[in-house]
Amino acid sequence: VQLDFVNRELTIKLVYYGPALSGKTTNLQALHKAAAPGASGRLMTLETRDDRTLFFDLLPLTFKSQGSLAVRLKVFTVPGQVIHSSTRRLVVQGADGIAFIADSRLSETQHNAESFMDLKQNLKEHGLTLRQMPLIIQFNKRDLPDVRSDEEIAQLAAQGREPVYMAVATRGLGAVESFIGLLHLTWSALNAEHDLDRKFGFDSRAFLASVAEKLGQNRALTEILGASVGGALDVLRPEAAS
Amino acid sequence: MLPAPTRSLDELTLGEGVKLEELVDREALGEILGSVYELFQIPLRIFSDDGRLLADVGRDVELYTYLNAFRKPRAAVDQVISAVKNAVPGADGGLTVPCVSGAEYQVSALEYDGRVIGRAILGPYVAPEADTSLGSLLSLDPALEADRVRELFARLPRAGAALVGKIVRHLASTLELVLFSEHRALLTSNMHLASVRESFRDLEDKNQKLQVAYDRLKELDRLKSNFLATVSHELRTPLTSIIGYSEMLSEGLVGELSSEQREFVLTIREKGEQLLALIKGLLDLSKFESGTMTLRKNNTDVAKVVREVTSTLQPTALRKDVRLEQAVEAGLPRIWADPERLRQILLNLTENAIKFTPTAGKVTLSARITGMEANSIAPEGGGMVILGAKRTAVEFRISDTGIGIPENEREKVFDAFYQVDSSSTREQGGTGLGLSIVKRLVDGHDGTVRIEANEPEGTVFVVTIPVRRATIG
Repeated sequence: VQLDFVNRELTIKLVYYGPALSGKTTNLQALHKAAAPGASGRLMTLETRDDRTLFFDLLPLTFKSQGSLAVRLKVFTVPGQVIHSSTRRLVVQGADGIAFIADSRLSETQHNAESFMDLKQNLKEHGLTLRQMPLIIQFNKRDLPDVRSDEEIAQLAAQGREPVYMAVATRGLGAVESFIGLLHLTWSALNAEHDLDRKFGFDSRAFLASVAEKLGQNRALTEILGASVGGALDVLRPEAAS
Repeated sequence: MLPAPTRSLDELTLGEGVKLEELVDREALGEILGSVYELFQIPLRIFSDDGRLLADVGRDVELYTYLNAFRKPRAAVDQVISAVKNAVPGADGGLTVPCVSGAEYQVSALEYDGRVIGRAILGPYVAPEADTSLGSLLSLDPALEADRVRELFARLPRAGAALVGKIVRHLASTLELVLFSEHRALLTSNMHLASVRESFRDLEDKNQKLQVAYDRLKELDRLKSNFLATVSHELRTPLTSIIGYSEMLSEGLVGELSSEQREFVLTIREKGEQLLALIKGLLDLSKFESGTMTLRKNNTDVAKVVREVTSTLQPTALRKDVRLEQAVEAGLPRIWADPERLRQILLNLTENAIKFTPTAGKVTLSARITGMEANSIAPEGGGMVILGAKRTAVEFRISDTGIGIPENEREKVFDAFYQVDSSSTREQGGTGLGLSIVKRLVDGHDGTVRIEANEPEGTVFVVTIPVRRATIG
């Protein structure tokens, strides 16, 4: 995170991680499409070959909150292919939150696991642990046959710490919910560390609701946050507010 | 060492952001302004965020050149221009500044990624609603010629607010696109460099780890060889005593033994000798591994060695009722070999052959002259035609009519401790060391050893040893 108290500006780095072809870029495209004009800059795609990411994609999102604080979100993807591990390490450096995009297909279970271990390793090289990192997991491609079942995922998710989302990113389903979940976790962590709400006179809940709105969500924030299965998203939930 | 990327990924994407003058080539910027000027004939300037002029077109405005000749009008115009330069556009990104000449300027903020990175100044141009009487301008100095001023004023470009807005938006979006492409190119080249660096660092890390592991293994290997040599030596000393004393006992040197006692003592001696052979084998192997095996090579008479081997093993063959024959080609040359080790090679292979040949079978030890590829792989630096020439060699063939060795096992039998069928070890005896020692001894003579099938049954071990020492390798 970069804090600029003079210009009342805050820059947050979010990284979409995951195995090759799991839909990281597609998630960013879905967010880009959903974003209201003015909220999103151009989606920058760096060096692709055959539609495969070589370095990263970058989607800049800017939200002005009450009190003229500008929150700049830089959403990155990493290249998923195994050989690009050193590039992933470069991109994940300085991330404030991570969305892990998994491929729901049974055949990809092993690749998901390998990519997750790769993420763990790359964080470790930066002296970080997954435990410290705001993290959500998205099971993408729910519309394909031979995917891991909802029941299985829900059962495992209930035992885990991180919120889990179901998505069909090609149709934009679940992309915004996953993003709001990630932003929520990340903001909570940054707020706990830097006391942003107090220093900037910020209302986290209102901010999150306005981001959701700018991303085309008409539902209440509680409902959007409720889209996750399992995990602990309770910091901003009204029932946990007391 | 690879050069470090000039700015990190985070600096280029998260921090202060990009600078207009860093991303866009000034000449290209001038060309973009030129194309706008060509269309609308309105002067245009671009300033960086910190107020430096980056590009301008149409700076020679005739009216202003004329006014500059007069002190008061010049001062008034200069004041407007410096005001324009320092004008900060409002929140909506635009600001119109009127000039004393009656024309006006449009100042607009140039934004990229939500941040102001510079300003564009369009003007002077004349708005349709402008006062063309020019009263206030002419009143600045009575020396101004009204007709001349009106004529030059009429030559100023005309533009309404709608057109000005369009021009500014067009310019801003063109610049934004150029900046986006340039920013992407900058990120790409930085990422290229950074990821090459990162991969390089990765490889260096791995290399270092491998080197450490390699050094450790080498040290372990050396320790193992030392250990083996020491242990073998320590085992041999008491064993020699056991064999010696049991020999003396069996020969009745300390009194006559009953037949049962004799049988027991002979068994002790026989097993002792087996153990000694095993220890000698281990010692040889450890010498090979530690690189301390020395071969005393000289011009060796092949026929003599073959004769010695067959005569040594004749009693063993007789006991098993196996026919042992030798066939040495007449006039074989002497070969460059250690006669003691050559004897060991042939003795081992022939003894093995007898061991695995059933009663009434036949073992033949033959030797003949042959050619040998010096090097089947092209030597580094070329010269295959010279260095790869055939060399004269002596080929020893030890054939038996025994159980044979399956084709897929033929490579492995030369590994230390390997037995084709471990159950045969108990039946036939043996340690699994013999063939691996043979292989190493043959290698030490620049020779080759291979296994062929003997028709209709059995095995042929073929050992080829060059007559003269190798020229390369």
